[in-house]
Parts: sequence; C-alpha cells; structure tokens
Amino acid sequence: MGGMSAPAAAIEARGLSKRYGDIVAVDGISFEVGKGEVVGFLGPNGAGKTTTLRMLTGFLPASDGSARIAGHDIFSAPLDARRSVGYLPELPPLYPEMTVESYVSYVASLKEVARAERRDAVAHALERCGLADVRSRVIRDLSKGFRQRVGLAQAIVHDPPVLVFDEPTVGLDPIQIREIRGLIADLAAPRHGEQRQTVLLSTHILPEVSAICSRVILIHRGRKALDQPLDSLLSEQGSLEEVFSRVTSGDEAELPEANA
Amino acid sequence: MKHVGAIAGRELRSFFTSSVAYVVLALWALLAATFFLASVIAFDSEVSRLQQFGAVEQLELLNLNDHLIGSFLFSMWFLSIFAFPAITMGLFAAERANGTEELLLTSPLTIWEIVLGKFVAGGTFAAVMTAVAAFFPGMLFAYGDPEVGKTLAGVLALFLVSLTYVAIGGFASSLTRNQLVAFLVTLGLLFLVGLMIPQLVVFGLASDALSGQSALVEVMRWIGTGDHFERMLTGLVESRDLVYFGVVIAGFLLLTKTAVESVRWR
Repeated sequence: MGGMSAPAAAIEARGLSKRYGDIVAVDGISFEVGKGEVVGFLGPNGAGKTTTLRMLTGFLPASDGSARIAGHDIFSAPLDARRSVGYLPELPPLYPEMTVESYVSYVASLKEVARAERRDAVAHALERCGLADVRSRVIRDLSKGFRQRVGLAQAIVHDPPVLVFDEPTVGLDPIQIREIRGLIADLAAPRHGEQRQTVLLSTHILPEVSAICSRVILIHRGRKALDQPLDSLLSEQGSLEEVFSRVTSGDEAELPEANA
Repeated sequence: MKHVGAIAGRELRSFFTSSVAYVVLALWALLAATFFLASVIAFDSEVSRLQQFGAVEQLELLNLNDHLIGSFLFSMWFLSIFAFPAITMGLFAAERANGTEELLLTSPLTIWEIVLGKFVAGGTFAAVMTAVAAFFPGMLFAYGDPEVGKTLAGVLALFLVSLTYVAIGGFASSLTRNQLVAFLVTLGLLFLVGLMIPQLVVFGLASDALSGQSALVEVMRWIGTGDHFERMLTGLVESRDLVYFGVVIAGFLLLTKTAVESVRWR
C-alpha cells in the first residue's frame, strides 16, 4: 500500500546546533528519518551524537535550528513531541530501589498511558524485553544486561512512534550485546500488520549498524559527514570500517589547513 | 497537573523503601516522647512549687497550653531544623545522581509538575511527623482540659513551619547531585532562617547596635520563622503569619523550579 502520499517524516532535523560558550558541540545538523526506518547514528566518541539526541528528545534546547518529532515541533509543541518519543539515554534512567514492574508502571503513568491500559502496556513491554520473570525483582539487584533491558522497556511502554536509543550496548558483555541487539531488531520489526516503529540508534560500534540498521548517518565533529542507505554505501564505498576511518581520519589532513 | 500525584507517590514509596524515613520517624517519635516527658515533669514541679507557697493567683494563671504544650511544640520545632534536611536531601539530588532527571525532563510533563510532586511528597511526610508530635499533647485531653483552639493553632504552626522547611530543603536539593551537600546546605539555610536571624535581632537590640535601624530589625524579624511560629503558639492565627509561610513556600518553590530548569540552559 506504499507510495500513496508522502508521509511526514518521523524525525526531521533542520540545522540543529548546540553551542556551549565558544565550543560548538553540534553544528547545523539536518536530516530526516522516515516512518519505520531504522537508522544508525554513527560517529566517533565526542562527535556530538548524545547532544543531538538530547536536543531531539527535549532534554536540551537547541541553540539554533529546529526539529520535528512525528510532526510535532520540539519548540512550539514540546509536550506532544516528547509524548511521541521513547528514549533510552546512555545511562538508563533507573530508580535502583524500585521493582522492575513498579518502575515500568511509573514510567507508563509519566508517559500518559491511560490507567485502564497501563497494566497491559506494562506486561507487554516486560514481555517484549524478556523481563517477565524478573518483574518483582529490585532493579539494584539486576545485572547490567538486565538493567539495560529495563531501560528498553521504559522506552517502549507507551508504544511511541519514534524510538531513540543512545549507545544501548555500551559496557555489556558479548552475550548481552547480542541479546540487546536482537531485542532492538525485534522492536523495529513489523508486528501483526502494524506500522513498524522508527528507530534512531546512536553507536560507535560498526557491526551494530550492519546488524540492525538500514541507513547510516555519520557525524563527525558536530557535522553530518554522510547520510546513505547501508546497502548502497557498502556497494559503492566498500566496508563500513573503511568509510568510517576515511571520514574520521580527515582530521590530520584538515587541521593544518584550518590553522593556516 | 495530572502527573503531580504520580511523582509524589513514587517519592513517598522510595522514602519508605529506603531506611531514611524510618530512622527519621523513629528518632522524631523518641525525642518527642522525651521532650514531652520533660515538659510534663517541669509543669508538675511548677504546680507543686506554687502549691507549696500557696500562690493561688499564679496557680490559676498556670495552664496546660502556655506552660506545657507550648514549650513541647517549641522543642519539636527546634528538632525539625535537624530532621528536615535528612528528609529533603534526596528530593532532586537523587534524580540527578540516578540519571532519572533525563527521564523526567524528556517525559510529557512540566517542570512545575515535578516541583509540586516533590513538594507534595515532602509535605505528606511532614504531615505524618506533625501527627506523631500532635499525639502527645493529644493525650492531655484524656487527663485535663487544654484549650482545643490553642492546641490546634500550635499544631498548625508546627505543620506550616515543616512545610516551609520542605520547600527550603527541596531547593537546596535541586542545586546538587550530592545528597550530603544538599543536607548540609539545608541545615545551614534552616539555621539561618530559623535561629540565627532571630538571634541576631535579639542581640542587636540588646547591644543597641540595631537601634535606629527599626526597618532592618522589622525585615529580619519578618524573615525568621521564630516570630511567626511563636505567635501562632499563643493561639493567634493571623493572616500576616499565614501570608509569611505562603510567601516563603511559594518563593522557594519558584527558586526550585528555576534550578531544575537550569539544566536546560547549559
């Protein structure tokens, strides 16, 4: 049924910038993520990934530029924009003293899941993240991998159209990494005929991108360096590693020029 | 404002899953019992002293409200200066330390809802503490006949002071991610507002240093909680004192809101 009319993009960033005094963390980034796309937001550490995601999710205001989430402007309709996002920050925002179920239920109420639907929504999120068996455990007692799953569960509990994950596998062991990746791929997969959720996933781990994403946005020193579907990128430019190192090794070549 | 209840409820549950609430409540009840006993003994010995001298007139002036309940509630107010920093230190600092600030600020809620939710949680705890303290003068109604109005005015005064201290402590907590820092800053602020400013007025008047500075004295006296609290203990519920508590609470809530919001300015 595709191709009827161009649907509004799920995420639309126009010249987003963030300055801290003289330091420019993000410098005029523009991109679009279409509905149902799974996009890898790639870049070396310190490239401005987290700052960009924080602007999109409403945690930080942009110094310049604008953005829309599911059609809602983050400045003029911030509550609607935030309502449309499920966000897993780099550090999962957990209350260590709460149980898994009461925590996810609390987040559901913050995200305005109607009281009558809350129990089902929580059960569904726990189920999808493989947390059903630990629902009454205290978060403090969980392993890091399980805490990350709880972080995912709070991001999806209100079934938002847009999911934003900031380095979801950082600091996990290889088995946990595989599990979390599987979960994210599963979240992005269409289920019983519904529109799949849009996922923007930041990472500096390249295999993660090839495992989950259909498109890559590469940012470097606060600017967009590349924005291409993964398959055409691979056929035109070789491996992701080559592209990544070509873009980021521009440093040494550019620096003397900038000083001159 | 629909999220205020959810935020307050979570905060209260976390009070009671951590040990802080129980430790504070246990100490509060223990010290209340001790102060109350001391007040009863002091009252009793005063009665027997006056009876010994057959001072009928003074005996008639002696009453449970002014000479027992008042001094007991005054002790509890003093104790609250130390109790409330422990209750409020985590209100906002813990959210920063946990990283849950990022959850709150990316959820569809306003900063006022966060600030009021925290205040309602602290205020509910303050109500529990006031009720524990009120239990002791309440016992006197079984054995004597204190004035109901005066007793209630005193209990209300303790509750309003507690709410004020919750607002001040919440503000201190919103400035830092470190609960110990929040505790110490709150203690400092409560000392200043509760004890030092009123004492400065007293010393200043005694040493004539503040004579001719009547405007300054009035301002300082107004800022301190003591004057307002003591006037209510005598049974006078006046609008100027209620306005004082309202203004200080609203002022600190506004400061807290600004501090929480300031994350976004960085």
